[in-house]
This record gives sequence, structure tokens and C-alpha cells, in this order.
Amino acid sequence: MKKVIALSFLLFIFSCDPFVTEFADISEAEMYVAANSSNSEQLYNGGQVKVVTWNIRFGSGRFPFFGDSCGDEVIAENQTINTIMKSIADTLNSMNADIVLLQEVDISSKRTGYIDQVQYLLDNTNLNYGCYASMWKADFIPTDGIGKINTGNAILSKYPLTDAERIQLSLRTDQDDLVQYFYLRRNILKVKIPSLSQSGKDFYAVDIHATAFATDDTKEKHISKYIEVLSDLDAGSAIFVSGGDLNSVPPGASFDFCLLDKCEGERFIDSDGSESEYHSVDSLVGPHKEGSFFNNFEGEPDLLSPLYDSYQTAISHSDGSSLVSSNFTHAPSTSFERHAIMYDRKLDYLFTNGVWVAGSGYTHQGAWELSDHMPVSAYYLPESE
Amino acid sequence: MKKIQILLTNFLFFSFLFSSDNFWSSHSANLLEKNRWEIGMFQPFRYGYSEKIEYSIHPILFFAMPNISVKKSENTMWGFSAASQFSLNYPTPLLNMVSRKGIGGLIDPNLEVPPMLGLSVSWLMSKIILDFNLTIKNGLDFGLTYGSLDKRSSIDLPLVYHRLGVYNNGWGYHTGIDIQKAFMGKFEILFDIDLLLLPDLASTQANPDFKGLRGPYSIEHKLLLSWVKSDRFKVTTGYKFVNAEFPFGTQSRLLPYIPLSEKWVPIIELQWAGVKK
Repeated sequence: MKKVIALSFLLFIFSCDPFVTEFADISEAEMYVAANSSNSEQLYNGGQVKVVTWNIRFGSGRFPFFGDSCGDEVIAENQTINTIMKSIADTLNSMNADIVLLQEVDISSKRTGYIDQVQYLLDNTNLNYGCYASMWKADFIPTDGIGKINTGNAILSKYPLTDAERIQLSLRTDQDDLVQYFYLRRNILKVKIPSLSQSGKDFYAVDIHATAFATDDTKEKHISKYIEVLSDLDAGSAIFVSGGDLNSVPPGASFDFCLLDKCEGERFIDSDGSESEYHSVDSLVGPHKEGSFFNNFEGEPDLLSPLYDSYQTAISHSDGSSLVSSNFTHAPSTSFERHAIMYDRKLDYLFTNGVWVAGSGYTHQGAWELSDHMPVSAYYLPESE
Repeated sequence: MKKIQILLTNFLFFSFLFSSDNFWSSHSANLLEKNRWEIGMFQPFRYGYSEKIEYSIHPILFFAMPNISVKKSENTMWGFSAASQFSLNYPTPLLNMVSRKGIGGLIDPNLEVPPMLGLSVSWLMSKIILDFNLTIKNGLDFGLTYGSLDKRSSIDLPLVYHRLGVYNNGWGYHTGIDIQKAFMGKFEILFDIDLLLLPDLASTQANPDFKGLRGPYSIEHKLLLSWVKSDRFKVTTGYKFVNAEFPFGTQSRLLPYIPLSEKWVPIIELQWAGVKK
């Protein structure tokens, strides 16, 4: 009987993994090393540092996923994911990036055949080190057949990474408790790259994927926290390159895409289940389509102004470049089929408190087939150069 | 109404899983007495049809997943009571009910589950040794599929994945040992370990889309404590522990587990019995 009790106790201990993972405010990120890394450590030998940010949409390309487009699909065929991931790896290799900030990376999700996309990219690119912070980790999401999910932000680098930190962002308050429990938990991923430290200043890469669909002020909290993290680094005399999918438009940009993004026959459904039509274009009075309206709270259209005012951006805002269509980074994956639109807004950014090489910022719209977000790159110019 | 529908569907689905655990005397090779019936909150209806035949069906689940099981007494072997058990079930309607949009969708709604028939054949042997009732069971499970079953329709959860895995693999093997002991007159304790195998799972998948379809085993253990008020009513509590390999790797889980509160809660089962006159 004593042995039975002891065994039962052990079973309790080893069976205590949560069903849905909730994260501490600050926690360690998961670290990765490329399996085929030929050197135990890659050292920086000087020169410009190419930085890329890219929301890779879990390697699904233009897949009509029900969650972010007018599609109904949930689980892609493995062949599709494998093909897109190979193309993403090839694209990163052709860019020859030194640091890559990724969003929507799956490491163990049913929708992508449980492939660890961080490890895959490290093993199939010239990048050697990585870190990962989950924004959605659950044994099983009992909705729409999603099943097991683990997806989040990742930073890949040619150079060793240390002190990787996951910083929790506020949860949405426009959801009920049940939905919030099973929903995303967004984060900022911050990591130090010792090889790029200069003149006694630590060098950091910071990656963010801000809320996309909140209709309350959650986005304001996310961007405020992001600004706080960057300010702390700047105040501590550290250098950073940062960016990600901020799900915010530049100041002065259009902020209403509700009618463009609306699916055929789609109507707004409120919490009581009542249906109504979406509002007219540019109306400040709702209802608005989640993720398509960027004026949900006072000041949202100018939310990124502090970033533009304080730091250097890869795509200039002061000369209007950020508002030009050639620098748009996103449109829903089904927008081309419905409206012949490939990209109609800028949501992805790169910032530094150092210096970007003048004119090096570039939006890679040629990668349109590989995600619903386009990569943005720029060359960081170290002080010594 | 919609929420009730979702809850009922999921109740039916998960009660199917726990109903395959035999709580009262039916876990052994011993049959119900003739004309005796038993039923539980999650357990199927069992009936002693004759001295040598017992059958069971899950009455509520039957409408979503038609099922029947027949247990037949066999000649004693090496001092063990022996019985054979044959089970049939048709899971397609229930699986297509949980293949849906929105909350309660356990399977991608774009995937339709074809007609499938599950057949399970078991051999049970029981013997009382030193006041412990020992039961050993072995059996084969077969999954017959009429049409194409998309492997993405698997439900990668403990208890579920390996029972439905026979429809991907074609067949499986199960074995187990139960030890039951009565004490203090009105109490019983049951300890069991079961192994479910899906042999040669990976090699049956010639399609590259099946690459990485893992999950060949599930080890399941339960400990149950019962209070037998009379031969007509019984209350059972306990836990079930699962360690298994899934397509994503190995996982252990103590059940039942309530996700929202992230807590294990004990099994609570009430059972009733009677005699048909």
C-alpha cells in the first residue's frame, strides 16, 4: 500500500504540465543551435550587419487560414508547409542576413505537422543560433480543429546569443474568461549578441508581435511596453536593433480597412449574437472588423510616433517613404483573389538607436507568395565602421 | 441551445473514452448473473443475457456512435476463469459531429470522416490469488475504413489518439492486468495497467504526408476506490494516468484534468444495478 501511495505521488508530480501555458511577466526564452553548425562559435569580423524582420505566418504562405483571412482552412497539408519553409530558408540565405527577427513561428503545432520551424530554419540557412518565445502554447485548442499549438517569436543570428528574455505583454480585455484562457499571450523577445558589442556597449536584438485583433486599448499597452523596453536599453547605453509586426500603421496612413477586408456575406456579430452591417468607409462609429481598423482608441493612428521621434527607422517616415505603396508589408492572404490587392498597409518595422546605412532599408515585396507579411531589411552600421 | 449541443457532444465523446474502462465486475472474465443489469453515469448498460453470454451497449452514446459488446464465458484454463469479448462500434457520426467550426471543434471542419467500423477482440482470464482478484487480458483491435481517412483528422489527446489510431494503422494490440481486492466489507480497490500498441505505424504510411505520424504506444494505469453500498448501488472514485507517444512526441497526463483551473479532479462514477424479472 505504501508503494502504491508513493507511485501515485510521483504520478502527480510528473503529470503537472499545464494544459494551457500561462507565462510569468519575465521568463527565459528557449535557446537553439543549428545542428550542422560547423564552428562552435561564429565571431563577428566587422562590417555592416544585415537585419531582417519577417512575420512568416507559420510557413503557410498564402494558405486561406480561417483565423486571419476570408478562408476556411485550418490544417495545411505537410507538403505545403514543407515547400513554403524551404522557400523561406532559401530567401533568408539569399538575403544573407546576420540577424533575423521572426514572428508567427510554429515549433510544435498540429496545423503545421508539428515541425519545429526554428530548428528547421537554423539547419537550412547560414544562421547558427536562435531563441524562441511562445505566444500561444496549449496541449489542445478545442476550436475549429486547431488542436495542439505552440507558436511565437524567434530571433535567429549568425552569432551566439545570450540572456534571451521573454517579456509578457498585456492580455486583451475585450474577451470573456474562457476565450482569453485559450487565446494568444503576446510577448517581446529580447536577446543579447555579445559578438556585436562595441566600445563597452552591449548589443541587443528585440522582437515584437503586437496584438492584431484587439478592439480595446491592448495595442496601446503593447506599444507602450515596447517603447519602455527600448528606452531602458537606450538609457542603459546599450545598442539595439529592433522590430517586428507591430500591427499598427504609420502616422498619417489610412486606418480603416474594414470594408476591404470584409469577407463575402460577412456581418458584424456582437456579444449577444445580433448581426449588423459594418460601418461606411472611414467612419469612426463602428462596428469595425477586428484587425482591420486602426483607430480603436484615442491616439491609435499616431501610436508609433514616439518610435519615429526617438529612433532611426529602416524605412524613413519623415520623407513619406513609409506611406508609399512600395513599402507596404501586408494584406490578408485572400485579398488578391477578392480585390486584386497584394499589399495595402505597412505593419512591419525596423528601428535602432544606432545607425542604419543610409538608403539600405528595403521592403521585400517579391516574397509575396511566402506569407501575408513581407520582410523588411536594413544594414546596421556599427560605430567602428 | 448551441452551448448545450456542444456540451452534450463533448460529454458523449469523452464518456465513450471512460466507458471503455470496466468499473464493476465486468473488467474481469466473470460474467453478470443471468438477468442482472448494471449501468453507470459513464459506464455502458450491461446485461447478463444467459449463464454464458453478457452484452453491453452505451445507450446515450449509441445515437452518436452505435456500439455493442458481447462477452462469452469460455472453459477454464489453468485454474483461470476465461471469457472472450467482441466489440463493434461505428464512430463516424460522433467524429463528424466534432468536426466543426467554432468552440467544440476537435477535428478540422474541412475534413470529413468516412464510414468506419471498429472491431475489438479480447481474451480475458481471471483468478483469485491470495484474496486478490487477478485478471489478464489480451486482444486485437481492427479499424475498417470505407473511403479515404485524412491523417490530419486525428485527435491528438490521451485516450483518444490510440483508440482512433487503429483507423489509420488498420489494427492494434492491447494487453493489460487488473488487480482487485475487497476490504473492510464494503470497499474495493482496483489497480490496473494497460498497454495499447499500434504496431508498425510509421511504415504503413507510404504517402509523404504521413511522414512523422508517430504514436505507436499508450501505457494507461488507473487506481479506483469503490464503496459498494449494496448489490444495487456503487460509488467509485480514483484517477487514470496515461503515458503515451503522440505525433508531437511523448506526453504524460493525469486524468480527469480540468484545463480552465489547471487541476486534476478525481473520477466520480455512480453505478446502479438490478435484476430483470
